[in-house]
Amino acid sequence: MSEHVEPAVPVDPKNDFLVLDDVHTHFDMGKTLLTRESKGVVKAVDGVTLTVKEGEILGLVGESGCGKSTLSRTVMQLIRPTSGRIFLEGKELSALSDTEIRKERINFQMIFQDPYASLNPRMTVLDTLSEAIRTRHPNVKGDALRSRVAELLRTVGLNPNQMKRYPHEFSGGQRQRVAIARALAPEPKLIIADEPVSALDVSIQSQILNLLKRLTREMGLTMIFISHDLSVVRYIADRIAVMYLGRILELGEASDVVDHPLHIYTRALMSAIPRPDPTSEKTRSRIVLQGDPPSPMNPPEGCNFWPRSPIEHDERMKHEEPVLTEIRPNHFATNCPFCVQAAAETVPA
Amino acid sequence: MTDHSETAVLGNEAAPLPKHSASEIAEEELVEGSSLWKDAWSRLKKNKLAVASLVIFLLICVFCVVGPFLVPYNSQEQDLFLGATGPSAEHWFGTDTLGRDLLVRTMEGGRISLMVGLVATVVSLLIGVIYGATAGYLGGKVDATMMRFVDLLYALPFTIFVILLMVAFGRSMWLMFVAIGCVEWLSMARIVRSGVLGLKKQEFVEAAVSLGYSHKRIILRHLIPNVLGPVIVIATLTVPAVMLLEAFLSFLGLGVQPPNASWGVLINEGQQNMEIFPWLLMFPAFFFALTLFCLNFLGDGLRDALDPKSAKD
Repeated sequence: MSEHVEPAVPVDPKNDFLVLDDVHTHFDMGKTLLTRESKGVVKAVDGVTLTVKEGEILGLVGESGCGKSTLSRTVMQLIRPTSGRIFLEGKELSALSDTEIRKERINFQMIFQDPYASLNPRMTVLDTLSEAIRTRHPNVKGDALRSRVAELLRTVGLNPNQMKRYPHEFSGGQRQRVAIARALAPEPKLIIADEPVSALDVSIQSQILNLLKRLTREMGLTMIFISHDLSVVRYIADRIAVMYLGRILELGEASDVVDHPLHIYTRALMSAIPRPDPTSEKTRSRIVLQGDPPSPMNPPEGCNFWPRSPIEHDERMKHEEPVLTEIRPNHFATNCPFCVQAAAETVPA
Repeated sequence: MTDHSETAVLGNEAAPLPKHSASEIAEEELVEGSSLWKDAWSRLKKNKLAVASLVIFLLICVFCVVGPFLVPYNSQEQDLFLGATGPSAEHWFGTDTLGRDLLVRTMEGGRISLMVGLVATVVSLLIGVIYGATAGYLGGKVDATMMRFVDLLYALPFTIFVILLMVAFGRSMWLMFVAIGCVEWLSMARIVRSGVLGLKKQEFVEAAVSLGYSHKRIILRHLIPNVLGPVIVIATLTVPAVMLLEAFLSFLGLGVQPPNASWGVLINEGQQNMEIFPWLLMFPAFFFALTLFCLNFLGDGLRDALDPKSAKD
């Protein structure tokens, strides 16, 4: 593990809604059979410090393999963090035992990526939702339970007379609605949506995005919305965090991150979004990154972005560990002089 | 079935949440879903060989269970003066060397063979599914320990195991059921475990965990119903395997004891006098083979019906 750096993002576990304080999630790859040498450790999440305000949608972007999904499962406590603390409404989730955490789970729910895999194929929608509702209301039975299921289905825009159907009888978009209804059933405060639209048709994507946006507002939910697609995140999120190799590179209000990105990586991501207007698309200048993301088993020292940096840099970049710093008001980026300076020099897209 | 267009079912996104205070839905309005079991059944019905096998198997069951009440002979009633006679109007299947009616003996032998097959399969099913699902779900050291125990039992020679049981508890038919069940559950446990290991990574199991369901609920409601497909197929193929084992044990004198008979016992008696009284072998062997055929064809049909991906079209 790299040397601990004091996080520059202020966290207040007592008052903030959701706090991630220097969270690391590492996977030990075990030992070789004969020599018992360590096969190495994958640092999927490597020191993430974040706060999420009540009622906001935080968008988390990053390319595949950057640790977004591991981070979401760590917050969900499906994977326990290797170190660091996670607080929800002042309660330290990462310190609870497995039995204690089970009782807490109704407060935070997850919407999964693949609606074809996230519903039990042997259960009707009615069974799936009833079971989820009874996690918070164990005594609701019969007609009362059924009318709650109907209510939930209406909320997510499905016809309640479909409740006795099985998942395979629905389309992908409809299944994702059922999955959303299931996540809402225990009346959670926090919802983590892990790429909820990337498995769907583009025409259905916007419906689901609108639904999520509306539900968050009307039910006063807080959401972490994970995606590899900045254009999707830009549409739904209030704030955006950009993740790279298990760390946050940039964090700020959605409009700031999108319109005035600080980090060269964010700029590269932004420049990769195709524009719907052909004339503007022709003039779109792209920042092309070099190579592939390095293996999280052996992340580069210093600013972990240097092997892919398209800009001039010297040895300092490889040795000085940058820290997420408030560069503009409420707009954080790693204080690597090369990544951020380069961004400031070029005119924002 | 999924071609209800999205818009037909979905409300307008821009509209606020519908405020339905009374949300009673009349039962008749509900669209009845078609479960995967129902779909599998309709696929099975199209497989002529499997349906014919099922019908013949059921007929054999009826023949064995109801038959003895309709025949005017007792399976243990001897007529030593008659001795072994070939098929005739009085004794349709002939008589054996002790002058017992072979028809009724075949029926009663079938009862025992089928019962051994079914009971031992159910025993192996119950133990194997629960054991395998628990090991697969809990994983890690628990899984390793539980599966090493299975390996240990696998390594034990079956006959020695049965002989030990017989020595310890005395000979009884029920003990044989237990002994066979105890051996057959091992492969069941392995199949269920590997199925659960695959399922465990699926998002609906993660969803069940994140909803805070208990281990028991996740295993019983979310994992086992989803591995039941292959389990049913294996169970159908276990029944004939168990019947063969029973025949083998009876042949060794460890199974069903005279004057009771099973198909295995009858075939054993028949083959001793095969050259002189061939019908003694023919009739029980015919029914035994027919049952095995039916169950194997049914198992194949079930596999294709439950897992359409593996079926050849």
